[in-house]
Amino acid sequence: MEEPRVLDQTGQSSLTSAPSGLPSPRPVRWSLARKVSLALVSILLCTLLLTGFFAYYKFESVYSSLVQSRYSFVVFTIKKRVEDSLNLGLPLHQIRQAQEILEREKLRDPQILSIEVYDSQGEVLFDTDRGAIGSMVPAPQVDALHGGTAVAFGASDEDALIVGLPLSNTLGKVEGGVVLRYPIAYIEHGIGGLLFQLAEKIALQLGIFSVIAVAGLYFLFGRVGHKLGAMQRTLGEVIATGGQAETGPGADQFEIRFAEFIAKSHEAVEHIRDATAEVGRLDRLQ
Amino acid sequence: MTLDHTRPLFIRLLLLAFIVLVPPVGLLSYGALGEFSLGLAPEMDKKVETVGQDLAASLDRAVGYGIPLDQLYGMDDFFMPVLTANPEIHYLSVTDPNGRILFLNGAAKSLLAPFYAAADFDADGGQTHRSILGPFVDLSLPLRGKAGIAGQIHVGVDQNYIRGRLLDIAQDIAVVNLVSLLVAIEILLFVVTFNVIGPMRIVGMVIDKVRRGDFSHACSVDSDDEVGRFVSGFNAAIRHADDLFRRLEAYMDEVKAAHFDRTVAERVGEIEARVRFLFRFSHTGRPEVMREYQATDIRLPLFLFVFAEEISRSFMPFYIRDLYAPIPGLSTDMVIALPIAVFMLFIAAVSPAAAMAAASKGSRRVFLMGLFPATIGFFMSALAYTVYDLILWRSVTAIGYALVTMACQSYIAQVSQRQKRAQSLGVYVGAVLTASVCGTGIGGVLAERTGYRATFVIAAVLAVIAGLLIHRLMGTAPPAADTRLPRKRALLVLLRNWRFSALVVFAAIPSKIALTGFFFFLVPLTLLQDVSTDLGDVARIMMFYPISVVLLSPLAARLADRTGWKAGLVAIGGLIGGGGLLLPAFSGDINMITLAIIMLGLSHGLSASPQLAMIPDLCWTECRNLGQTNVLAFLRLAERIGSVIGPLLAAAFIPLYGYTGAGIALGVVVLGMSAVFALLSFAYGPGPHIEAELTE
Repeated sequence: MEEPRVLDQTGQSSLTSAPSGLPSPRPVRWSLARKVSLALVSILLCTLLLTGFFAYYKFESVYSSLVQSRYSFVVFTIKKRVEDSLNLGLPLHQIRQAQEILEREKLRDPQILSIEVYDSQGEVLFDTDRGAIGSMVPAPQVDALHGGTAVAFGASDEDALIVGLPLSNTLGKVEGGVVLRYPIAYIEHGIGGLLFQLAEKIALQLGIFSVIAVAGLYFLFGRVGHKLGAMQRTLGEVIATGGQAETGPGADQFEIRFAEFIAKSHEAVEHIRDATAEVGRLDRLQ
Repeated sequence: MTLDHTRPLFIRLLLLAFIVLVPPVGLLSYGALGEFSLGLAPEMDKKVETVGQDLAASLDRAVGYGIPLDQLYGMDDFFMPVLTANPEIHYLSVTDPNGRILFLNGAAKSLLAPFYAAADFDADGGQTHRSILGPFVDLSLPLRGKAGIAGQIHVGVDQNYIRGRLLDIAQDIAVVNLVSLLVAIEILLFVVTFNVIGPMRIVGMVIDKVRRGDFSHACSVDSDDEVGRFVSGFNAAIRHADDLFRRLEAYMDEVKAAHFDRTVAERVGEIEARVRFLFRFSHTGRPEVMREYQATDIRLPLFLFVFAEEISRSFMPFYIRDLYAPIPGLSTDMVIALPIAVFMLFIAAVSPAAAMAAASKGSRRVFLMGLFPATIGFFMSALAYTVYDLILWRSVTAIGYALVTMACQSYIAQVSQRQKRAQSLGVYVGAVLTASVCGTGIGGVLAERTGYRATFVIAAVLAVIAGLLIHRLMGTAPPAADTRLPRKRALLVLLRNWRFSALVVFAAIPSKIALTGFFFFLVPLTLLQDVSTDLGDVARIMMFYPISVVLLSPLAARLADRTGWKAGLVAIGGLIGGGGLLLPAFSGDINMITLAIIMLGLSHGLSASPQLAMIPDLCWTECRNLGQTNVLAFLRLAERIGSVIGPLLAAAFIPLYGYTGAGIALGVVVLGMSAVFALLSFAYGPGPHIEAELTE
């Protein structure tokens, strides 16, 4: 009577060398758990990077707009005061107190790089940097004057951000503009530390949850691999040494069918061997 | 988990994916938002202080001239522009030294008066005073007259303002998280199907053959994981039996041919007959490799491709507007609608040829053929200079889109058994809808950050990845299937079936008019009219459509099967969609438009499956003569008339009624047509209709 072999029996030895006529099992180079771990950890990394990326840039946008709105307000108050004088009928270049207004506002906030008032042709009339008076502003700042008298415009140059408003008289005619420069470094300083903190948090979360992912996947796929390994060992042993595969309690339909596969394979092998022996015996008949 | 039912494994995997993806993003977001809050608060304080100081300086000047504080004139006009230009400032007020409110804008007097009356502003020695006042942060600055402190000016900031800004950030993060989770599900589904479910299914098929004594097949799996190792051992057992048989066969041939004793030869022949009777081996000399093609093979590439197309959904009208160039005889809105309509037109025009090409040349070839124009189209759309070249490149993309989607549908039809075709088509619908949710959501967020052009480049890259996957997954042509294609004239006979025609004209076409005219074209334009709405908001709101469809479709399909009341569901769906489009008539705010989008999603979720399910009953004879797939394809083709008309009709309404009005006008059209269908549906009757055959 041949000894039955249970499909889910375990044992490392038979994993490495199948005692059968079958070739040695192919080595597992990339286990299922490793493959899925790679996919899941990659998705986690991309998700965290994408989240960090969007959060950081959205924050930068909110922060910049808040800073810009503060400076827009400063520009707005200068505009009001200069326009009060314009409404008295004074030409823009003759509003002497404009220079004083600009300098006072600059003194209030050390972050302000400069404030300037220019006419509709782009010539600087008043500037906290007095040396710049008489120079021309870049063309986009002149073009921006035509965007609407109440609409603040923004621009940037090499190391400064610019916020400005048009100056108009009571008839609505644009007489010129006022712009305020503040350093890009101010924004960068405000958000710079966050990038590092975010990177640190991303690395931490990635580390912790990668371990959870890998452990979970090894647990999930370990059982699959374990079951397949046991089935394969039984197959090799039954084919090589005989016996029959029996399913253990709780075996699923696949295992039951696989046991029948083993039985049929064994039956075929035995039958062909018997047939070969019988043919050999007949062949030897003289 | 059991090896023949991998669903529990997949569910556990999804659970693990949820555990691994959602909490870290949640924790990261929570930590980041805390940091952001700390970063924003000082800047907000500076802003409020700047405003307060400026207002105080102006009032100081007036008080300095000797005007009593309570007799200042025009304070409303003084405060109003400040409040309008600075939405974070909720109110401005001036109090006298006793805390009595003299002027107030932006809040109810009763809310602030008790607090001001009780507060002692002099305690700070006339300094800036900050206090929490219900939902507000109140910053008070002293107003100095000639005789000392004449009163206080108060700047009130909504405490929730920063929270609101952080909520914006959190919403973007939520969209990214949702999209990541859906992408993770798609990828895990692919990985598990490709590495476990697919191979084990083939093993199962080979096992069943062997159980019947048939050793003619082995499995095709050659992966280097546990399944690959198992399959190699499994195949080795089959090949072992096959080898033994080959040797026996050769030996028997030799004995039969060479043995001098004919009785021995006869006995050997009997043994051979017995072995061949009991067992079956391949005639080719070795076990043939068994392959199985499944609908799920193309799910991930299709998902990526549709993702690429949907990524521009939320901003397409804005991109067209940026590239606007006048086209003689067309209004600006009509020019914006044109690329969307032309895209739909090309899909409709190319689809029949694409279906034929897929049938004759094979799905894989047509998919790859389609990817070429699609990728070029995406990439060149990014480089478009004017609306003219955008129309050209969108047309090229549409050709690719038609080829790819038809190739996928054809592949599914070819590889799925007839009784499982509906289930397999579910793979197509599932991939398309999930991609729609992801593409729409992430597209707006991406475009807001990286710009429209960069987002199109990302779409091109996704299309290339889809191509690489197809190249890898569809290695050889799938088995040939029924590729019977009817002549166009034969299809036109369908229109003589009044039930079919009514379904096309009064249900399918209006449904597409609403989709392309309202959702694709009008929604982005209408939403962005609100200055507080950005592109990310538009994308988030637009996500409600595919989400509604995804949630309702399976339920509607089950309901249609259970009740058999398919025409009724289609009618109700149409009425809900049309009615939803009328909602902005009550209020043009974003919430109402969002509700209209959700109702459109519910409408399409409710009617899409029953619409298809009706066809075998409505066109019983035609399905038998032309093939059900062809009748369904004709329905899909005919409804694209609505897809083309939709944006053009909406654009024609805009000059007459404005953006919101155009949506309502479109709603009237859709609701009217749906109402006609609802009336006709009562005459549809139950069961298959075979009158056409009887009259022939």
